[in-house]
Amino acid sequence: MEEANEFIDRVKNGDVLPMITSCSPGWVRYCEAYFPEFLPNLSSCKSPQQMAGAIIKTYWAKKNNIDPKNIVSVSVMPCTAKKFEIGREDQSAAGVPDVDISITTRELVKMINKAGLRFNDLPDEKFDSPLSEGSGAAVIFGATGGVMEAALRTAVWKLTGEAPDSPVEFNEVRGVEGIKFAEYNVGGTAVKVAVVSGLANAKKLLTQVKNGEVDVQFIEVMACPGGCVNGGGQVIQPAEVRNFVDIRAERAKALYSLDTARAVRKSHESPDIKEVYANFLGEPGSHTAHEVLHTSYKPSSLSK
Amino acid sequence: MVNIKINGIEYSVEEGTTILEACRQNGIRIPTLCWLKDINAIGACRICVVEMSGARSLTAACVYPLSKFDEGKNILTHSPAVLESRKMTLQLLLSNHNMDCLACARSGNCELQALCKELGVDDSSYFEGAKNEFDIDTSSKHMYRDDNKCINCRRCVAACEKYQGIGVIGANERGFKTEISCAFGMDLANTACVSCGQCITACPTGALSEKDDTDKVWEALADPEKVVVVQTAPAVRASLGRLSVIR
Repeated sequence: MEEANEFIDRVKNGDVLPMITSCSPGWVRYCEAYFPEFLPNLSSCKSPQQMAGAIIKTYWAKKNNIDPKNIVSVSVMPCTAKKFEIGREDQSAAGVPDVDISITTRELVKMINKAGLRFNDLPDEKFDSPLSEGSGAAVIFGATGGVMEAALRTAVWKLTGEAPDSPVEFNEVRGVEGIKFAEYNVGGTAVKVAVVSGLANAKKLLTQVKNGEVDVQFIEVMACPGGCVNGGGQVIQPAEVRNFVDIRAERAKALYSLDTARAVRKSHESPDIKEVYANFLGEPGSHTAHEVLHTSYKPSSLSK
Repeated sequence: MVNIKINGIEYSVEEGTTILEACRQNGIRIPTLCWLKDINAIGACRICVVEMSGARSLTAACVYPLSKFDEGKNILTHSPAVLESRKMTLQLLLSNHNMDCLACARSGNCELQALCKELGVDDSSYFEGAKNEFDIDTSSKHMYRDDNKCINCRRCVAACEKYQGIGVIGANERGFKTEISCAFGMDLANTACVSCGQCITACPTGALSEKDDTDKVWEALADPEKVVVVQTAPAVRASLGRLSVIR
């Protein structure tokens, strides 16, 4: 929502383009250290981890009359860079850190086993509110191209008159390829996008953008090859498996099939998201939204 | 095409195919340790060695491309000499390894441990003598490096360099003293490491691991004053589903 809105604003206002996604903290750290000249291009949106953390400690805390200081916000992530991200500056919407503890998928497995949970025998259950049921757009965030596709679902809907039957699937940005390009005709305007995963590929693409060899308006970068499904915090598959099975593609398949099965597949149609905007944030890009959901970056002293 | 024999049976494979791939294509499994497809084919660990007719010594299957000069050769993948060599390689690796398996994050999911079992390593102290003692690097927020468990396979180095184009880790010193670490032995936290963790998932042993923050979560859950809220990322469910991971 915020990201799609920021993109539309940047295009309309003639602000810095291409806009580059900011959901992957490994990538953000890389940009700060290796390509500081692209920091104005980075979306000011916090990552999903930090946005959810911020909503929990502001909106949800207030709604349930809980002092944010008494909330311990835990995230389970496929990512090790999230452990770094929770300590970043400008990530404390309620005056306390948005997220307190970030554990990896592997650590969750340890906890499940230690607690003696018969996980596979547990009945399926919904998450508690707020943000209990993610949209299909949210689920595909875990695969390379998924953040781009989620943003396009909302941006294209908004730019083409908010028709309920606006396009859902943007197949050109899917797949495990390291660098992908696509062009969409959105209400008569050509929108050119690029999607990269693996920072070696990001380096290649950004160098081309810098040299004027590539002209795009929107770039998605995920630090890990194939995206979060192949993140540094995921369950480790031995070389015996990795050498012969493309775990990036197999895990992405699981996410896209969950997306297809969802009734709500666009972020702006999610009842939870609508509720948070109606009762708390107002409009995307509002003053409150900026205070809670956006952040800032600065060049790293540990540059290359 | 090249016509070869594997364990006496004739096969025809495309020129340039490595011995390892040729075997795999025909359902024959050769164990590996340092080989990681697309990023690390360096023939360093010698676990994948095979016996090849006409060769003076054992050949590393992961880096040997078959050519017309190999026409008609016979490759033995599990001969007594091969099995003995693989076992001795493992014992030599263990001779400079701290073998702290019971308290290791990767116990039960360690490639070195699995190979020792597969190849029947029955005496872990077979080669006694000097061992390196390295400091554990705990400087960064997300992970630690314990080189006392490192086997110098360089899979982490390749992940950092080839996937990410970063390359903040590499081999320092040479020979017995070789250690995978940052330039000039700097702490990881003082380099431009971006915390992605690709080195961890590439590591076959417990030399690299995330910092375990689960005790903090248990503590919060047990604290009656605290409200613990949890969120999960979408990708978590895509690797959690593996039945053998969760008991």
